[in-house]
Order: sequence, then structure tokens, then C-alpha cells
Amino acid sequence: MSFEQIIVSGNSDSLEESELSLLETLDHVLNRGLVIAGEITIAVADIDLIFIGLNVMLSSVETAQEVLRNRQAKTE
Amino acid sequence: MKLYVYCLVEGMDELPHSLKGIAGAAVRLLSWEKVSLVVSEFAGDAVAVTRENALAHAAVVQGLLERTTPLPFRFGALVTEEQLQNYVSAKREALQVKLEQVRGCVEMSVKIISDRDWTEEPATNIGHEKPGTAFLSEKRREILGGEARAQEAKRVAGWLEGQVREVVREIDFKPNTTSKLIVASGYLVERVRLDEFRQKVAAARQHRPELHFLVSGPWAPYSFANIDLEFKTHFGVS
Repeated sequence: MSFEQIIVSGNSDSLEESELSLLETLDHVLNRGLVIAGEITIAVADIDLIFIGLNVMLSSVETAQEVLRNRQAKTE
Repeated sequence: MKLYVYCLVEGMDELPHSLKGIAGAAVRLLSWEKVSLVVSEFAGDAVAVTRENALAHAAVVQGLLERTTPLPFRFGALVTEEQLQNYVSAKREALQVKLEQVRGCVEMSVKIISDRDWTEEPATNIGHEKPGTAFLSEKRREILGGEARAQEAKRVAGWLEGQVREVVREIDFKPNTTSKLIVASGYLVERVRLDEFRQKVAAARQHRPELHFLVSGPWAPYSFANIDLEFKTHFGVS
């Protein structure tokens, strides 16, 4: 996918463009968009979404974890 | 077999042959009541949140963005054909209004990170406080720091809005008060005004070198696709 990406001023050395592209994609795909009420059925598998070191857009991960917690609560 | 739903589209009779969906499934178009949805078949009751699946979802939506402005579903919409048909029947008007709102536009995302520490300096008598008092003082500093960061987030978002307002159709602003990421905004921009938007953001960046900007796009209008939220906002119920 081709996105423009710009990091300005300092501290960009630890942020790889490919990682940012992935995080931006996850942020949009997991956190936004139309929802068919009650029909979001996702499973957290290998947790390969987590990029703790980046400390930038962890909301995607938080969303996945929240879904996991809700699913666990329902099954208990 | 259930249907995995990627997005709504208008003005398309057929899909690009190159599109592959979740798990490599063929992607097809389903149309009811003048609403067309892009779906693929999925065997199973849940879609795993993996990098491959999330990217497959995004690739389908992004692949269509080159031809039209799709209205994307959030990752994980897995339904029966009957459920999908009921959804379209119940929401048809809202979906069509939303498609009209985003027609000819794309979303640009701007995230702003501030390295500034908003927590106040500790009081000079910090070493002489009793443990309870020290705990409450620290809590107070955290709360005040959070409030200051929230105010700064609003200030920065308002400032950026002022810079780009004339070239965007809608703004989705999400203040973030808990981390260095103080602003995460989506901008609905007409395709013909994309260059103007880029220039405005570039000029804005020059004015605030102390802030880190992450600009990405063009995206399908993910941040402008929440019809349920708008219904709740307008009528007070969901």
C-alpha cells in the first residue's frame, strides 16, 4: 500500500517507515469504520500486532485487548 | 459459511480481478436496495486479529479507493447473508446519506506527538512530607498534568484546524490526554484538494517544530463511517 508518511523533528530514528505504515493501517482498520452491531467477532491470535517499543499508536492493541477481555468475560 | 464484509461502494458493477480478501478468498459484490457491499466468504465463527488478516482487509478497501470512495467496515464484520440484508434494510437511508457525504473524498490522518512533560515540578519540601501527604501531592501533580495536557491537545487541534479548515470537508478530532500522542485527527478532503491540504499541513509543521507530526493517507474515510454514533448524537439513543 502506498501512503505518504512524514515524521518531523527529532526522535524519528527509532520509527521505521514500514512499522509506522503497519501501525497506521491497524489504527484505521481496527478502531474505525462501520459496525454491524453485535456482529464483530474477532479473535486475538498470535498478538503479532503489539509493537510496545514504538509507544505511539497503541490504541489498536488496546482495542484488541479490550475485545479479548470482553470475550473472556462473556465465557466466564 | 459466513460473509466477511469489507466496505460499501457506489457506482461499481464489478470489482477488480486482482482483489483478494481475508485468507485469500475471492471478493465479490452484493447489491440490495441500491446499496452495494464488498464481501468474501469465510469459514469459521471468528476472524483472527493477525497482521495478515488486518492487512488483507485494508488492501481490499485501499484497492477500491483508487476507483471510488468506499465506506469501510471495521475489521471483523462477519455475518450471514440474511443478517447483512437486514442491516442494509434497516440502515439504508443512513448509509446512502453517508456515502453522499464522503463522495469524491479521501481521509487524511494527522497525529501529533508532544515530548513535553506536563507534570508540574515537585514542591521543594517534597522530602519532608508525610507518606500520605506525599502520595496526595503526587496524585495532584498527575491530575493537573493530565488537565494541562488535555488543554494543550485542544489548543493544538484547534490551531491545526484553523490552518486546514478551508480545504477540508469534515474533521474528526480525537484528543488524547493520556500519552505523548496528544492529537489524532482525521480530515475528510476532496480528492481535488489533496495537494492544497498537503501544502497547508507542511506550512503548519514549519510553525511548530517542537511537535512531531505523522501524516498518512490517503485513506478510505474510516473515521467518517460511524452512522450509529451519529444517530446516537442526534437522537440520544442508539
